[in-house]
Amino acid sequence: MSEITTARAKEIENEQMYTRHVRIDRMFIVLLVVQYIAGIIGALVVSPYAWQGKERVLHMHVWVAILGGAGIIILPILMAIVRPGSLMTRHVIAASQMLSSAMLIHLTGGRIETHFHVFGSLAFLAFYLDWPVIITATVVVAADHFLRGIYWPESVYGVSNPEWWRFLEHAGWVVFEDIFLILSCVIGRREIAASAMRQAEVETLTEQEQLKSAALEMALAEMQATA
Amino acid sequence: MKTRRWIITGALVFASTVWAGTVVAAYQAIRRFESTPGTAAIAPKTWPARSRVQRAGGAWTLVMLVHPHCSCSRASIKELEAIIDKAPRSVRTHVLVYRPTDFPAGWEKTDVYTAATRLRRTSVLIDENGREAKLFGGFTSGQTFLYDGDGRLRFEGGITLLRGHEGLNSGRADVIRIASTRDGKGAHPVFGCAISTEPARGEKR
Repeated sequence: MSEITTARAKEIENEQMYTRHVRIDRMFIVLLVVQYIAGIIGALVVSPYAWQGKERVLHMHVWVAILGGAGIIILPILMAIVRPGSLMTRHVIAASQMLSSAMLIHLTGGRIETHFHVFGSLAFLAFYLDWPVIITATVVVAADHFLRGIYWPESVYGVSNPEWWRFLEHAGWVVFEDIFLILSCVIGRREIAASAMRQAEVETLTEQEQLKSAALEMALAEMQATA
Repeated sequence: MKTRRWIITGALVFASTVWAGTVVAAYQAIRRFESTPGTAAIAPKTWPARSRVQRAGGAWTLVMLVHPHCSCSRASIKELEAIIDKAPRSVRTHVLVYRPTDFPAGWEKTDVYTAATRLRRTSVLIDENGREAKLFGGFTSGQTFLYDGDGRLRFEGGITLLRGHEGLNSGRADVIRIASTRDGKGAHPVFGCAISTEPARGEKR
């Protein structure tokens, strides 16, 4: 394999990955906005008001959904617009997506079912075919559990004095999914690299054939001219 | 071109600050809201004689006060359901649903009310203007009292871990243990909306 073909293959692979990253950044803009709106609607439906006898005030969850949700999505959306396809954008999106999960879990009163959002989000992040992004998301989940386990254990484990290693049990299930997602990212990346190599080879062969044809036509033209 | 770069960098720095600040502020706000208990009850040590709630002689009785529009009380009702499943069948349960009389009829018919009516071996009573809540000395939705067969108070407090959070907690566990062993006393913080404790007509505060 010539160096030119290898370099061209790398170029094609990078182009394809960049296009994919930009497309998925855009997908996450939509997802983050949809989640934001869903969080507000959910808060308004589930717990619109806090009551004091006959008096009612807007529930804290509604404020958190509106202000907290906006704060969480502002950076990833801005980065996806001004720095699409960049490494930092992907990692900020991963962290924000996990923070959105944590917020949704809180807004639903810690429902077990809402925890599935974490696993769904990891699967979406795997679309990037960039396994460090999944690691970033996992670190955010583990850090959230670890810190809350220290400062507010009731909110995450349901008991006030959990064992120090308890967060590892929760993070372990995320790691379980990560193994398969990271594997799929690596395989997907190899397939794209192989496809880019095939395209580069075809391009090289086509170029060589075109050169041969041009040389042949030139030789024929010279023969006709001399005859 | 240089100006545009500065604007973008400035916007990103601003967004990063907002992003980090939001995470910390939202965490603190939720934590403060969910882990701050409501006003604890000042419950009489024996069954309030003037209560309209019928206490079967010799039977242990569980009483819960709820505000029908308190979303956090859904979790209290869920926990009450768990207690009813685990506690002895002889325990009688009453859910007292707050309703101000100057509000339109049906105001109290919320999902919390409906969930309460679906509980087994439970009677749901409307507590007009919080008269019964006052007699039982409760101020917060989700406040639960367990009285023994002689009408003595054995447990007072909430049966959720945090505001609106379902799941195993010492309040729920205490009620089940005391009702099952017929021994001991217990108390737990209560999490929920405030129930009006305005004096009912003809009642002294």
